Amino acid sequence: MTVRRSSVVLTATVALVAAAAASMALGAVHVPLANIWEALTGQAEEGPLRQIIVELRLPRTISALVVGAALGVAGALLQGSLANPLASPDVIGVTGGAGFGAMLTLLAFPSAIALLPVGALVFGITAAAIVFAIGWSGAHAGSIGRVILAGIAITALFGAATTSLMVAFSDRVQSAVFWLAGGLSSDGWSSLSVVWPYFLVGFLMAVFLARPLDRLALGDDVAASLGGRPRLVRLAAAAAAALLASSAAAIAGLLGFLGLVIPHLVRLAGGTASHRFVLPASALCGAALLVAADTLARVVLAPIELPVGPLMVVIGVPLFLWLLREAV
Amino acid sequence: MSEPRLVARDVHVKIGDTPILHGASMSVHAGELLAVVGPNGAGKSTFSRAVSGLQPMEQGDVCWGGIPLGELKGRKIARLRAFVPQRAPVPAGVTVREAVELGRSPHIKAFARPTRHDREAVEHALERTGTLEFAERRLTTLSGGELQRVQIAVGLAQEAPVLIADEPTSHLDLGATAIVARLLRRLADDGLSVILVVHDLALAAAIADTVVVMADGRTAATGKPDEVLTRERLSEVWRVDASLDERGALHVNWLGR
Repeated sequence: MTVRRSSVVLTATVALVAAAAASMALGAVHVPLANIWEALTGQAEEGPLRQIIVELRLPRTISALVVGAALGVAGALLQGSLANPLASPDVIGVTGGAGFGAMLTLLAFPSAIALLPVGALVFGITAAAIVFAIGWSGAHAGSIGRVILAGIAITALFGAATTSLMVAFSDRVQSAVFWLAGGLSSDGWSSLSVVWPYFLVGFLMAVFLARPLDRLALGDDVAASLGGRPRLVRLAAAAAAALLASSAAAIAGLLGFLGLVIPHLVRLAGGTASHRFVLPASALCGAALLVAADTLARVVLAPIELPVGPLMVVIGVPLFLWLLREAV
Repeated sequence: MSEPRLVARDVHVKIGDTPILHGASMSVHAGELLAVVGPNGAGKSTFSRAVSGLQPMEQGDVCWGGIPLGELKGRKIARLRAFVPQRAPVPAGVTVREAVELGRSPHIKAFARPTRHDREAVEHALERTGTLEFAERRLTTLSGGELQRVQIAVGLAQEAPVLIADEPTSHLDLGATAIVARLLRRLADDGLSVILVVHDLALAAAIADTVVVMADGRTAATGKPDEVLTRERLSEVWRVDASLDERGALHVNWLGR
C-alpha cells in the first residue's frame, strides 16, 4: 500500500519536473536547458534569451504550477469536507462569483483590465462568503445538504448576473471568451504578486486540515466522538478551498475541471482516501497537469496559443476514464 | 461500589423549538452494562448524544468522573467516552485498519506520528472485536455486522473508559446481533462501562446489568432488568400486552386477542 502511494508521489514529481523543464524550454523560441539553468542561477549574460526565461517563461511556469496545485487541493478539500464526489469549487459559489467579477472588469470597465485578477478574487471570495453565511446559519447549520444547496443557489445567481453582463455588452464578449475558457497569460509576475498571500493562507490551512478531514470520513458523530468539531472543520476546509480557487481563477480563469478530477485521479491511483496523502498528491498532480497542458497549449500550434482549459480536458478525461475503469 | 464514571441528572434538550428531553437521568459505573430502552421517539438516542456532548442541552447536570461536561472539550472528553453512532457513512477507499487508527486521534498530537502504544491500541481493538482477520479489507466490502464491529473497534481504540453505542444492532440479523451482544457484554466484564441504546427488550434483559426505561422524554424507571421490565410497565410504556419470562424470552400478544 505504502509502495503504491510512494510511486504515485514519485511519478507526479517526475512529471512535474519534466513538465516544468519543457515549459521553460519550449515555446515560440526554443531555449536549451543549459541556458535556462544559467539564467536561473544568475550566470547568464544580459540579453533577450535571459529576458524570455526570467521575465516570461519563469513567471508563467510558476503561475501554472501554483494554480494547478491550488485547484487540486481545493477540490480535495471540498470533496473531503462535503463527503461528496461531485464537489468542486463550483459547489461553493467560487466559480460563479469569480466569473462574474472577471466579466464585470472585462466588459463593463475594460479600461481597468489590470484589476481583472482583483475582481475575480474579490467576487469569488464574496460568493463563497454568502454561501457560508447561509450554509452555517439556522437549523442544520453546517450540514452538507444545506451548504451544497446554498452553493447551487448563489452560483445560479452569479451565473445570471454574468449572462446579463454579456447580453448588455455583447459587442465586447469576444475579449472575455479566452478568460472563460481558462488559460495562463504572459504578463510576468503581476497577477501572482497580487494574489500570492491568499494562496499561501489557503495552502497553510490545507496542511492543518488533513487529519481533521480524515476524521470526518466516518461521519460527523464519529468525528465529534473523537473530539473534533466537524462543522468547524467543514467551514475551514471550504474557506481554504474558496481562497485557493478564487486566487486560481484570478490568474488563470475558469479551470474547474482540474479541481473536480485531480483528487479522484489521486485517490484511484493511490488506493486510499487519506487526506495526508490526497492533499499533497493532488497538489503535485494538479501542478504537473496544468504545467504540461499549458506547455502543450503554447507549442502545438505555435505561435498561436490554444486555450488551456479545453486542452486540459482533452488530456485529462481519457486518463481519468481509464483509471475509473481500472478501479472497478 | 466505586464512584460512577458518568452521572447525568435532569437533562433537558430542545431541537429547534421542539422539546425532546425533559428530565432524563442515569449513572454508570465501571464494568456496568447499562441499557437505555423505550419506544420510538422517547428520546433514547438524544439522551445518549446529550450526555456524550454531541447534542447541546437546555439544562441538566452531566459529570464525567466528577468533572462537569461543560469543562470537557475536544480531546479531554474524547478520552473519557467513545460514541458509536447508529449508522455511520461508509467511505470508499478506507480500510478497516485505517478506520480504527482514526480512533487514536484524541491521543496523537497534530503532525506527530503514532507511537508504539497507539499501534498496540489499534491492534488490541481489532482483536477484541474480531475484526483483525479482515483488517486490510475496505469498509465498502464488509457486511452490516462486520461494519458494526469496526465501529465499535474505532470506539475501543479511543481507550475511553465508557463506550456509548446507539442502537448498534438495529440493522443486524440475528447472528450478527448475537455477536455484537456478546462482544458488548465481554467488554463490560473486562471493566469497561457500556451504555447501550437498544430497541430489543429481550436483548437488553439478557445482557444488561441495569436498564433505564425512557418514555416521552423522561426516565420512567431505572433498575435491574427483571425489576424494571415488568408486564405492567411494558403495557404502560409500549402499550402492548407482553412479558419477559425467567429465561429472558419476550412473549408478546401481537394481535391483542
